[in-house]
Parts: sequence; C-alpha cells; structure tokens
Amino acid sequence: MPADEGAVESVSGDLRVRQHPVLGDLPPTTEVTIYVDDRPIPARAGEPIAAALLAAGIRVCRTMPNRGRPRGPFCGVGRCTDCLMTVDGEPSVRTCVTPVRDGQRIVTQRGLGSWEEGTA
Amino acid sequence: MKQADVVVVGGGPAGCAAALAAAGAGARVVLVDEQPDLGGHLRWRVAPTHGLEPDLDGQPGVRVAAALAERVAAAGVEVARGSVAWGFFEDNVVGVVEGETAYTLRAASVIVATGSTDRVLPFPGWTLPGVMTARAAQLFLHVHRVLPGRRVVVVGDGPDADEVANAFAVAGAEVVARVPGVAGLQAGGDREVEEVEVDGQSYAADTVVLTLGRLPDPELALQARVETVFDAAVGAHVPRRDEHLATSQPGVYVVGEAAGAVSVAEAMAEGRLAGLAAAGAPEADIAAAREALQGLRTATSGNRALPVVNADVPMCLCRCEEVTLAAVRQAIAEGATTLDDVKRRTRAGMGICQGIFCLPAVAALLRDEAGVPAEEIVPMTARPPARAIPLSALTMLEE
Repeated sequence: MPADEGAVESVSGDLRVRQHPVLGDLPPTTEVTIYVDDRPIPARAGEPIAAALLAAGIRVCRTMPNRGRPRGPFCGVGRCTDCLMTVDGEPSVRTCVTPVRDGQRIVTQRGLGSWEEGTA
Repeated sequence: MKQADVVVVGGGPAGCAAALAAAGAGARVVLVDEQPDLGGHLRWRVAPTHGLEPDLDGQPGVRVAAALAERVAAAGVEVARGSVAWGFFEDNVVGVVEGETAYTLRAASVIVATGSTDRVLPFPGWTLPGVMTARAAQLFLHVHRVLPGRRVVVVGDGPDADEVANAFAVAGAEVVARVPGVAGLQAGGDREVEEVEVDGQSYAADTVVLTLGRLPDPELALQARVETVFDAAVGAHVPRRDEHLATSQPGVYVVGEAAGAVSVAEAMAEGRLAGLAAAGAPEADIAAAREALQGLRTATSGNRALPVVNADVPMCLCRCEEVTLAAVRQAIAEGATTLDDVKRRTRAGMGICQGIFCLPAVAALLRDEAGVPAEEIVPMTARPPARAIPLSALTMLEE
C-alpha cells in the first residue's frame, strides 16, 4: 500500500469525552485491541468500529470507486455507507453500526474493496 | 409468519408512545427498532426535553429515552431491538431482519414511527471526512463518548443548531464558527477537513456539522403506497392522514417526525392517538388523545423550508453514486421534471441511502431550474428493501 493510503492521524490527543456534566464520568469498560491497516488501536468493548477510529484520530474509512476521493463517518446511523471498510476480510462493512471485537482486522477500503484485502 | 394486533415500527418517542397506548388498550403489540436501545433521537440528546408530563418534563433526552424503554418493557410489549423493518407487503405484512435472521410480521394495524433523517445540503468539500450530520456528531459525543474533532464549524440556525454547538463546547471542543446555511460555505483539505471558508473568510477547522433541520423519513409507509401531501412548513411531502393519523392504506398509520412532527411532545401525543385508534380503544379515550394533540401542533421549526442550492459552484451532489451538481442540472435542462426522472438519468438517489441525502437538493433544483412547484415534487418511488440487508436473510423467508 502506498504511503499516502491508509490510516492518517491528524486530530490528535485524547479524544474521549471522559467527563460530562449530564452524562457523568465515562464508565470503565473492558478494553480490546483492533488492528487498522495493521496498526493496533485501543477500543472500548461493544462500541462501533467508527467510534474507536475517531477516538484514535482516524477519520478516513474508504476511498470512492470513481475518483478515489476519501470518505469518513457522515451519518453515524448506517444510512450513508461513507464509513465502509473491509473488516476481517469482508468488504463494505458499515463501521458506524458494527461493534469492535478483540483482534479484529480492519483495512481502509479502496473502491468496492475485495474479499481478499483483509485476510492477506 | 408472526402475528400481532399492532406492529409499531420505530422505537423513538412516537413509537414508544404508540406501543404503550396500544398495549394499554389490550392489544398484542410488537415494537421493531433498528437501534440497540429504544428512545430514537433522544438517545443521543442531552438537552432538556420540554412539554412532557411532570415526571419526564425538563429531563435530558437520554433520561427520557431510558424511562420510555423501561415503560415499554413493563407494559408487556414485545420489543425487537437491532431489527430492521425493511419491507412492507400486501395485507400489512412487514419484513424484518435481525442480524443474519429474517422473519415476517402480520398485523391488523401497522404504525410507522420511523422518524426523520438529518437534512443535508451539498457544498464544495462536503464529502471530505470531518463533515457530518448533527445526529452523527451527537451519537459520537454522547453515546460513544468521542470527540469527532476539536475545531468545529456548526452549519444551521435555530434550536437544534444551538443544541449541537453547545454539545461540542460542553464536551471540550471549540466551535470556531457558526453559519446559518451552506451558501458561501466551502471545506478544504487533502484527505480530510483542514480548513473551512465562509464568505471568503478562512477558519482552521477539522469538523463541519450540518444542522439543517430534519427530513421526515416514512419510507416504509411510502412502500405501502400511501397518498402523500406537500407540507410547506416541513418542505417535503408527508403521508396524508385522517383525524386518527391513519393513512389512505387500511390499517397503516404514520406518526411523529416521520409525518412532520417537530417537538417530542407532539410526536408522543401522535403516537398515543394512533396507538389507541389502532388498538380499538374506547371512543372517549381516542377523543381525549385527539384533543391533547391539538394544543401541541407546531407550525414550523423555522429552518425546514425547501432550500436554495448554490448552483454555480462545482460540487458532488449525490454522495453514494458520486453524481455532480452539474450532471443533475444537465438532466433538468434536458427535460427531467421529477425526482424519479433525475434518478433514472443520473443515478442520483439510486445508491444505498435511497436518495435521503440528495433529495432536498434535487427537489430544490427541480423547483428553481425546471419551475416545478414544490407541492408537485413527489417522493421517489419507494421499493423494498428500506435498508441494506444481507441477501442470505431473504432465503429464510417462507413462501
């Protein structure tokens, strides 16, 4: 994969909302590890993949079939498919509504992706 | 095929109120909701919810959502969470997919309470990662507890935009600019949003949140071929309903934001009325629910009228199919006069979102460039499935 493809970390620092005046403190939970383009990323058990990615500052999920333009989470509720990625070898998984799993392998998807990408 | 007296689709405030009312009147009720928890948009809202009964009034949305879920559970309603009602078929049969399994539900009455979708409008750079809808932003902030960005531009005006701007500030982000609409707006960056330009003034920003009102999303009812009517306050066609909120199709009701309701109180009052009517409750109860609803009607949220699109700037219009604004304008210049025409000629609206994110812009262009009156711009023909579902699930259906 060329150097300009894949996970780009641009929004850095702690992006978790740890305290909140209405919601209270972020409840403790089990931490799992997912692998995004082979890079280990911490995630909170049960959260959607897209949330773990945003917390790690990763916002590009895929590039589009026609002109390779990048896309990232847009609607957050599984309607727009801008957050599609290849997850455990399966292309076009909606990461905003798919929960993380320990050891999950996630690949930035190019175009329509392929069944091989994540399992290579 | 599973049977029930009343099937409610959508577990937001309107759907929960409908299920509670129908169950209270003695009906066997199944409530189908695609989210992991009940509460609809209240699940990701922390602002106070007004106009409700004393024990819920003024509570943050998240607490109202939790309270409604508890009440529904206590009322003996069968709840199917994480379940997508993807198709409406003859004799009030609803197709449901839950993960990899599928089944059908038949009921004398189906109450469609499928809520809204955030209305979005195109502007140059709006497909860049970092641009997102108001509900995506609030879901990440309040449910998943993640800041989608640190320097945020909030687009839109009115109470919803205030709520979103406040949500970011409270969570620790900086709202660097607020703009009323997409006119003069541009997002730039190499692979994601890095700067935002508003009327020539540039801001360093990583996130743009679109808070441009909510679009009724009654797709399942449209599949049932209910008659629609243009609601000028909403800026869209909504199902035509009688005094009990029943549509032109026997046994099909539409309530809440799916039909254009604005406030939570109004949505819940609608749900209650339809729930009672669908369950065949005593006439006095139904009359009381009708009366309660009258006082809650909201004329308009103020930011939902059909918009004007920045037609002279090159940009993508249909996100799913990567159709440009220029392509849609050309289709209209060549004679397209309906949403379906534009869809067939350009593929705008043919993607996975089924047009929900490009429809406002295409409708505005039809009005402004083809001269089609807004009330004549009818929704695209709705066909199953209403959501992306696994093909394997369909093989499990009987018949």
